[in-house]
Amino acid sequence: MKRTTMKYKVSQFLMFAGPAAILFCAVVLIPFVYGFYLTFTSWDGIARSKPFVAFANYAAAFQDGDYWVALGRTAIYTVISVVLVNIVAFLLAYLVTSGVKGQNFFRAGFFIPNLIGGIVLGYVWKFVFNRAFVAIGSALSGGNVASPLSTTGGAMFCLILVTVWQYAGYMMLIYVAGFMSVSADLKEAALIDGATGWQAMKNVTIPLMRSSFVTCIFLSITRCFVIYDVNLSLTKGEPFNSSVMAAMHVYNQAFVYKNYGEGQAEALILFVICAVVGITQVMIGKRGEVEA
Amino acid sequence: MKMKRIGAILMAAAMAATVLAGCGSSSDEPAVENGSGSAAAPEAADGDVSITIFNSKMEIQDQMEAMAETYSKEKGVEVEVYYSNDTVAQHLATKYASNDPYTISMVDAKDIYSLAADHAVDLSDQEWVGNTTQAISIDGKVYGFPVCVEARGIIYNADAIKNITGKDFDPASVATLDDFKALIDELKAGGMETPVGVMKEDWSLAGHYLPQVYEEQDDTDAFIQGLHDGTVDLLSDPKFTALMDTFDVLKDNNYAKDSAISAEREVTEQKLAEGEIAFMFGGNWDWSVLNQYDYSENMGMMPVPENMDDGANEKLVGGGSKYFFIDNADSISDAQRQAAKDFLVWLADDPEGQAFVVNDCALVPAYTNNTLEVSDPLGKSVKAFADAGNLIGNYNYLPDDHYSVLGAAFQKYLAGETDRAGLAGEIQDYWKGVTLAEH
Repeated sequence: MKRTTMKYKVSQFLMFAGPAAILFCAVVLIPFVYGFYLTFTSWDGIARSKPFVAFANYAAAFQDGDYWVALGRTAIYTVISVVLVNIVAFLLAYLVTSGVKGQNFFRAGFFIPNLIGGIVLGYVWKFVFNRAFVAIGSALSGGNVASPLSTTGGAMFCLILVTVWQYAGYMMLIYVAGFMSVSADLKEAALIDGATGWQAMKNVTIPLMRSSFVTCIFLSITRCFVIYDVNLSLTKGEPFNSSVMAAMHVYNQAFVYKNYGEGQAEALILFVICAVVGITQVMIGKRGEVEA
Repeated sequence: MKMKRIGAILMAAAMAATVLAGCGSSSDEPAVENGSGSAAAPEAADGDVSITIFNSKMEIQDQMEAMAETYSKEKGVEVEVYYSNDTVAQHLATKYASNDPYTISMVDAKDIYSLAADHAVDLSDQEWVGNTTQAISIDGKVYGFPVCVEARGIIYNADAIKNITGKDFDPASVATLDDFKALIDELKAGGMETPVGVMKEDWSLAGHYLPQVYEEQDDTDAFIQGLHDGTVDLLSDPKFTALMDTFDVLKDNNYAKDSAISAEREVTEQKLAEGEIAFMFGGNWDWSVLNQYDYSENMGMMPVPENMDDGANEKLVGGGSKYFFIDNADSISDAQRQAAKDFLVWLADDPEGQAFVVNDCALVPAYTNNTLEVSDPLGKSVKAFADAGNLIGNYNYLPDDHYSVLGAAFQKYLAGETDRAGLAGEIQDYWKGVTLAEH
C-alpha cells in the first residue's frame, strides 16, 4: 500500500486520532460555538424561544458590577495562590529529591490531596475550620473563637490555604521531574568551580528547570482562575457573597438568576482573560528557556 | 508484517471502543436515578402505559420509589420516579434540551409561573381543583397541582420551656414581642442563657424571614411596586420595623451570637430538638432535620411575635409548596397524559393516595377532603392554622436573585456589620434595580 496517498493519510488519522477528535468536537468545539451563539440571545435557560438580542448581553456583562468585583477577587486570589503554590511545590520537590529518608513516602503523601476531589476536599476543610479550629482555638484562648470562615478575610484565607494544599503536591511532581532532568555533572562542576550550594541552585539548576516553572505556573494560573468546586463546597460564596469567585458568579447568573445569555457572555469574557493571561505567560516563559 | 498491521487495527478499535464506552456510561446522578438513564417515557413490555415523575423533594424520594412500585403493580401503569441534586429549573432545562421531558414534574411555585405557558397541560377540568385553595392558575387555567402545604413561623420546644417555667407553654400567650421578650427573660433567669437559634442560610433570612415584610402588607403587589418605584421608605414602614424589632430579639439571644454566620443548621436544629434552646425561626420542613436527633415530643410552630395588632401575629405564613404539572411535550402520548391525570386524582382523592401523602411522606395535605391526622408535631401546627384559615399566602413572584443578593445583606446585619438603616438601604436599592415579574 502506498503511504503517501490522501486516502491512506486520512484513514490513518481516523484510526488513531478519530475517536478523540470526534469527542473533542462533541464536548468542546460544538458546545463552545453553540454557547457563543447563545450569548447573542436573551434565553433564560429553559424557555422555548431564544430571542436574538445582539450585543445586549455583553453590554449587561460589562455593567454587571458584581461580576467585575468577583473577577477582581479572583485575580487577587490567583496571584497569591499561584505564588504560594509554586513556592511550596518547589520546596517540597527539593525536599523529596534531596535524599531524605522515606522520600518516596513523602512524595506519595504530598500528592494525595490532589487525588481527593475538590468537593470532598471543601467539605473536609469546612469541618476543620468550623469545628476543629474553633474547638482548639477556644480551648487555647479560653474565649469563644469564631470560625475563620465567618469573616470576609478569613474565608479568602481559607480558600487560598486549601488551594495551596491541593495543588502543591501536583506541581511538586512536575518540579521533581525538573530536578531529575538537571544532570548532576553540571551541578558538580559548579561546586568544584567554587560555587556555594545556593549559587549552584540559583545559577545552574533553576535556569535549567525553566520549562518546569513555565508549565507549573501556567497550570496553576488557569486552574485558579476557574476555581469552582472548592469555592462551592468550602464557602459557597459566604459570608455575604464576599467569596464568590468569577466562575461561581457565572454559574449563578446563568442557572440561578436565569440569565443564561448574560451568564454565557460573562463566561466567554472569563475565557478570553484566562487565555490571554495564560498565553502571555507561556510566551514570556519560553523566550528565556535555555538548553544544557 | 500483515499480522502486525491487523494487530494495530485491533488495538486501535479496542481503544476507540473504550473511549466511547467511557463516554456512554457516565451519568450525572447515578445513585439517585431509579431505572435506566433515559426518562423518555418507555413503553412497558406488555403495551401498558408508563409515566415518569420528577421528584424535587429529596426527603421523600425513598417513599416515592416504594409507592411507584406498588402503584405500578396495582394500576398496571408503569411509574418511574427520578430525583436530581440540581436546581429544579436547571434540571428540567437539561431535560427539555434533550427532548426527554418527564410526564409529571414536581417543581416550586415560581417554576409553574415560568414554565406553564410553554410546557404545562391545563388541569382546570379536574375534580380535585374544587378541594384545594392552593392550586396555581394562570389566566384562569389551573396548571399546578399542590403536593402539600408548608408554612413558616417560630418553631418552639414546649418541653424545654416547661422545664424552666414549670407551666405548660401556650404559644398564644407570646403573640406580642413584649410578651415574647418577657418569656425569654424568664428562660434566661431560669438558666437557659441563650434560648434562640438563628439560621444564617440566605434562603432562611431573605427567602423566608424578609419576605414576611412583603407578605404581611395589606397589598403586597402595591408594596413591591412601591419599593421598585422608590416610594416606600422601609425604615418608616410599620411592618418592617415590627419584624426587625423581633429579629433583633432573636439575634441578641442567639446561642451562636459571636459566630452567627458560621452556625451550622444541623447543630442549631439539634440544640432545638434536644431542648438546649427553645426557639428558632423555620418551617415545618425542618422536621426532617429535627427528627434526626433525640427530639422532644412537645414541639410546634407559632406565628412570629410582633408588636402589632393587625392580626399577623396570629397567623403563619405559607401555603402550597411543591407543585406537580403534566407536560404537554409531543414526546408524551395522550394515553400517558391521561395516566398522569389519574395519578394526580389518586394522590388527591383515593384513600391510599391520601395515606401516602400524610402517613408515608409526613406531609401536610393541601386538600380539604384529606382528613387524615398529620403525624409530625410541626405539621400538626401547620394543619391547625391552615384549617382555621390562618395562613398568610406566599408571595411567589420574587426575582430569582432575591434570596442570594439580599441574603448577603441580611447576613451582614446578622453579623453586626451593618445596621438597620444599612440593611433597609440595600433592600431598597435592590428593588429599584430589578425587573418586576408580570403576573
